[in-house]
Amino acid sequence: MPSTISDAQLIARVVVTDDRHAFGELVRRHQSAVRATLRKLTSGNAALADDLAQETFLLAYRNLKSFRQEAKFSTWLYRIAYNVFLGDARKTKESQLPEDMNIDEISLAASEDATGATRQSALKIDLERAMSVLSDAERAAIVQCYHNDLSHEEAASVLGCPVGTVKTHILRAKQKLKARLGAWAPE
Amino acid sequence: MNERVDNPGDDWIERALADASREHRAEYIADDGFTASVISRLPAPFALPAWRRPVVALLWICGGLAVMMSLPGLFDQLFRGVMAILMSHRMGLVDVAMALILLGGITWSALVYAARSE
Repeated sequence: MPSTISDAQLIARVVVTDDRHAFGELVRRHQSAVRATLRKLTSGNAALADDLAQETFLLAYRNLKSFRQEAKFSTWLYRIAYNVFLGDARKTKESQLPEDMNIDEISLAASEDATGATRQSALKIDLERAMSVLSDAERAAIVQCYHNDLSHEEAASVLGCPVGTVKTHILRAKQKLKARLGAWAPE
Repeated sequence: MNERVDNPGDDWIERALADASREHRAEYIADDGFTASVISRLPAPFALPAWRRPVVALLWICGGLAVMMSLPGLFDQLFRGVMAILMSHRMGLVDVAMALILLGGITWSALVYAARSE
């Protein structure tokens, strides 16, 4: 299917004629972003993220008629993905850190006498690990506003909360990250 | 695009988040059968049962016969009236052929309408 066809046209085909090829094209276009977002939300658990991404697209298919084109299709998908993630998080109640995670390693990486690219990648790894200490809501706010580059208003729509709450989550998340990654702070 | 992300200023955590976000957006997760897996899990498409068309056609025929049986006088009078009109006119082969074509067309249309898929 040619990529010149817009998301809106593909959605119309799915809604009107149940065109599964059109839906397949929508999935192909957005799978990377949705899976990447869910990997961030699940602290890098790729298998769980892919399961949740599949659930997200199935829910999107079932509810496509209710999509009003008021927001971007990707934003609508992020919203479904976040709800699916929340539903799963409630079921599993897993708020513990991954087993291979050792917070103490963070300061060790920062204290190494590394510069440039090495230092940058070490900080990235530590940041990924430190994201696990955030609450689900704080992590989701960071993922939507930074990784998915949504505005506060769009993030609020995705997360289903007021804009002020999104800002608060981001502020708290950054405070926690700063505290956790204190060894990386410039002298 | 968030201005905050592109202009992180001198806040080091802001810079770290912005850098990580740029890398995140640049990364592409290969499909690797993901789309096919989603499509295979979609609910089966709605399809009309195979027996629907013959049953609908049969019901139309039964309905027509029932009307004919319940109102025999009406059809008798209608038939006589039509015959009287036809007998009072000279009819050629073309007229008969046209009548047959018209009747056939009406019957065929009724059957198509009854057997349509939607």
